[in-house]
Amino acid sequence: MKLNVDGLLVYFPYDYIYPEQFSYMLELKRALDAKGHCLLEMPSGTGKTTTLLSLIVAYMKAHPLDLTKLVYCSRTVPEIEKVMEELRKLMTYYEKELGMEQNILGLALSSRKNLCIHPSVSKEREGKVVDGRCYSLTASFVRARHAADDAVPICEFYEGFDAHGKEFPLPPGVYNLDDLKEYGQMKRWCPYFLARHTITHANIVVYSYHYLLDPKIAEVVSKEISKTSVVVFDEAHNIDNVCIDSMSVKITKRLLDKCSNSITILETTISNMKENDSKRLEKEYKRLVEGLRDATIARETDMALVNPVLPSEVLEEAVPGTIRTAEHFVAFLKRVVEYIKTRLRVQQVVQESPAGFLRDIHTKVCIDRKPLRFTAERLASLIRTLEISDLTDFSPLVTVSHFATLVSTYTKGFTIIIEPFEDRAPTVSNPILYFSCLDSSIAIKPVFNRFQTVVITSGTLSPLDMYPKILDFHPVIMTSFTMTLARPCILPMIVSKGNDQVAMSSRYETREDTAVIRNYGNLLVEVAAAVPDGIVCFFTSYLYLETIVSSWYDQGIIDQLQRHKLLFIETQDAAETSLALINYIKACDNGRGAVLLSVARGKVSEGIDFDHHLGRAVLMFGIPYVYTQSRILRARLEYLRDQFQIRENDFLTFDAMRHAAQCLGRCMRGKTDYGIMVLADKRFSRADKRSKLPKWIQEHLKDTLCNLSTEECVQICKRWLRQMAQPFSREDQLGISLLTLEQLQSEDMQKKIQLRAQGV
Amino acid sequence: MADEDETKEYRWESGYEKTWEAIKEDDDGLLESNVAELVARAKRKRAALKASGAIQLGMMRHLFVIVDSSECMFLQDLKPTRFLCVLKLLEVFVHEFFDLNPISQLGILTTKLKRSDKITVLAGNQKKHIEALQHLKDLSCEGEPSLQNSLERAMNGLKNMPAHSSREILVLFGSLTTCDPGDIQKTIKSLKDNNIRVSIIGLAAEVRICREIAKKTGGTYNVLIDDHHLKELILSQVQPPAVAGSIEASLVKMGFPGGTPTLNDGTSDSSADHAPAYCLCHIDSETSSLMGPNGYNCPQCGSRYCELPVECKQCGLTLVSAPHLARSYHHLFPIKPFVERAQVPDATHCFACAKLFVEAETNVYECENCNQIVCLDCDLFIRETLHTCPGCASDPVTAQMKTN
Repeated sequence: MKLNVDGLLVYFPYDYIYPEQFSYMLELKRALDAKGHCLLEMPSGTGKTTTLLSLIVAYMKAHPLDLTKLVYCSRTVPEIEKVMEELRKLMTYYEKELGMEQNILGLALSSRKNLCIHPSVSKEREGKVVDGRCYSLTASFVRARHAADDAVPICEFYEGFDAHGKEFPLPPGVYNLDDLKEYGQMKRWCPYFLARHTITHANIVVYSYHYLLDPKIAEVVSKEISKTSVVVFDEAHNIDNVCIDSMSVKITKRLLDKCSNSITILETTISNMKENDSKRLEKEYKRLVEGLRDATIARETDMALVNPVLPSEVLEEAVPGTIRTAEHFVAFLKRVVEYIKTRLRVQQVVQESPAGFLRDIHTKVCIDRKPLRFTAERLASLIRTLEISDLTDFSPLVTVSHFATLVSTYTKGFTIIIEPFEDRAPTVSNPILYFSCLDSSIAIKPVFNRFQTVVITSGTLSPLDMYPKILDFHPVIMTSFTMTLARPCILPMIVSKGNDQVAMSSRYETREDTAVIRNYGNLLVEVAAAVPDGIVCFFTSYLYLETIVSSWYDQGIIDQLQRHKLLFIETQDAAETSLALINYIKACDNGRGAVLLSVARGKVSEGIDFDHHLGRAVLMFGIPYVYTQSRILRARLEYLRDQFQIRENDFLTFDAMRHAAQCLGRCMRGKTDYGIMVLADKRFSRADKRSKLPKWIQEHLKDTLCNLSTEECVQICKRWLRQMAQPFSREDQLGISLLTLEQLQSEDMQKKIQLRAQGV
Repeated sequence: MADEDETKEYRWESGYEKTWEAIKEDDDGLLESNVAELVARAKRKRAALKASGAIQLGMMRHLFVIVDSSECMFLQDLKPTRFLCVLKLLEVFVHEFFDLNPISQLGILTTKLKRSDKITVLAGNQKKHIEALQHLKDLSCEGEPSLQNSLERAMNGLKNMPAHSSREILVLFGSLTTCDPGDIQKTIKSLKDNNIRVSIIGLAAEVRICREIAKKTGGTYNVLIDDHHLKELILSQVQPPAVAGSIEASLVKMGFPGGTPTLNDGTSDSSADHAPAYCLCHIDSETSSLMGPNGYNCPQCGSRYCELPVECKQCGLTLVSAPHLARSYHHLFPIKPFVERAQVPDATHCFACAKLFVEAETNVYECENCNQIVCLDCDLFIRETLHTCPGCASDPVTAQMKTN
């Protein structure tokens, strides 16, 4: 249908629209008009993706000069594929309506592993190996060598792309990963490099967060994206953690040992080269004297994304003399690695600031800050010069070099923590050095500064005001949409006590209490008896899950449970978990029913949807606070308090509630779906926790559903399930939660939408 | 609204209702017309649901009723227990079933302890079934049910039935889980291959596998809200369903036993037919007694039965009486739904009950055939009980046409 969104003609590829989708478009349009950033929360299953795409494409068509490109960042490959499907639907609709080919090029980009069509390389399973082998076939020196000697293998697809692909742009259309591969096969061009090349002139690019947030990758992939783009981060409720992870480094003892090996290889290669081809080393030296000028030029013309790893000062200066020659640099690296090794030989936990670390490294092994800063660049240059084609072995050394550069560049917002052993196994010596980023705004700042509009959206972003604080930006629009429903298809409940009136809580003091554990068990058994098909339970941690399950076993609760449903448990082993999941789905499909015990923040809670019968109920046992004893977390909390005036407790609750909301959201995947959400902890009913749940859940969490006992909860469940089982058709939704064009345009509905917009 | 309250559970059991929100004032600030309309609409809706176009109906039905008797049937959310409530309603169902489908057969299975037990075999005698149901009350409910086992068992009983009959299974399923020995998908497939329609009534919540079975085999799946709703759901199964796909139409041999001896006016009945004899339905039971001259004799083999319809035990002939057949006739020729008339001329009477229509009467219906006008109550009565339009029947021309 064709919509009029605040004066903009939007082609929407479906015959019906949800009212909240229309409101979403209105808000998004406002943000685009203001060329500012926005933060939008809308429940999952209400068609966020198609709404975003249809509005932004319409906007691009209407204002081709103001908005040139859409960069859509998603989390996983399946999600990327879903976005591409929606985009394809939209483009087909455009073509049907306008009767001609649309001049819009959209493509998905993923790693080499997902795009490679080289007959042997594509067989590799691990991403790193594929990258390494690809590099060994396509690096410029390899190809130069091939020109001299035919025996040196190269990749024919890359050659094909290099020879012809750059001149012929990809014809307009929508390309997902498979289409790219097919196109590559047909033309004999490498799809990966083709896609990367095409990014610069494509209208719509869909890829993973990391291509924009991780400075190491963003440098290579995304630096030429123009300023007049809109960037969308979908499922962005964890974006601060992604930012932090991309800037943090973890160094273990094993990694350092591997580094030593790599350094030895470097040494031998250098000495070999010296005998055979010393000219090349000299050339490199000269280049280094001139500094990294090329990079500076690119930056001045505002073409490149500012790379937080490589601060601008570095580019202006020449590489310091101490590490200019190859031997000196290798010796330097060796000293650094040895120094870190000595630092790892600690008996107790050490925490220090980057400045302290720099002073210590200066006094102990006489290494200045300046050369440290250049380590990453210098190492990259050396590897290029030495023509080392197999990069896989060097990744530990690259990690250390990144660490060196980061630690000498940023004095604020980072901390170094050295732990001699893991908390869980205090007797086993396993020293780890964490270089941890505390400030999530560092990684995302270049994105906010560069692009005119950044959209952060997800099903669960509440409380909204926290994100601008921790990401340090100023949104022009900040809105949370609720779901309009024709029937109350979610039933959130807070169960705070068992039938014996003992309060249920995962508080540290009571978590070992058998009465609490037994009450949790009884709750699960009774819910399992009342709810059909699949039930998913979330615990606060693997440790807690294990203790609870073992005492349930002793108390005979497991036996009772298995009379109603089969039991599956998520473990830390990914293969085991996916096997459990497959069987869980099978048990739900054939009517036996199943219970899945899993962990908030685990694999299940983040990526897997339990729609319809797979998740008729979600139980959250306890509040999923992050492990508060972790030193990294404590350092971050301290930093947040000092820099952003966020109280520790506020942040912890925020973090816990967004994970709880994520877990609860697993069971609702659309308007025809329905699910029970049980929050089993006394503390959930407090105002500070309740108010942090997303609005679309809060709206249904009435006072009568708080502070229930197990029995009350089961009674409500039973009645509600019967109501939900009554026939429900599209006609019932029409006019309330699903609108035709006429209904949308009716004055009544417009008024309602206006009201809702003002209400938030 | 007093009668409506009766159809609900007890007030303290039902949820919190905002009854005042359903009521709106009309233009004059009055409430009454609104309330009346609400009631009328609800009534009419139910009637409209049943009226469907004339399709080929499976008149000769073979139906297996599977009663869940697993542990969960002892729950007391239906009073006194789910099991007893279901059995009581089933008795009503059996009675109604044979009333409306006299040439059909029915069998009862239960499932518990992961197995399936046969209670009665397919037969056309309702007494036997009702007796069996009464015996069931003393049985205990235990263990888990098995959908697959019971469906397989019912299927074995049904698959040898003649192709022109409609094969059906009705499952009353209280459990939320089923414990099956193998892949239930295979069972669903063979049910489909055998043209068996499975309808399921859930007593607790929507179970996906049930929905899938019903959908794939062309049956219905419903979940009750309370015991009155359950009754409605069970009784809705009394209506013969439309035939799915093409079942060949064929002739069925039937016997029409003669009438009572007092009317012996020289028909084929010989005097031996009216000699005292044992009734074959009760010959197994110890209380069986010699019957008088009353009863029905099979025209093929002469066995005596106390009640019709029945399948002859001796020769397997279906024995019915003509009124029985006529009763199932209305399924084939349902009367057309009456059209709602917006306005009626002043001083019109309801054709059926002669009620005078006052000015503001809105619920008035007209038969499309004879153009007679009836009131709402009569409309419902005609549709649900009478099955013929009094207007058409009293008009000699149209009545003639119908029989031709």
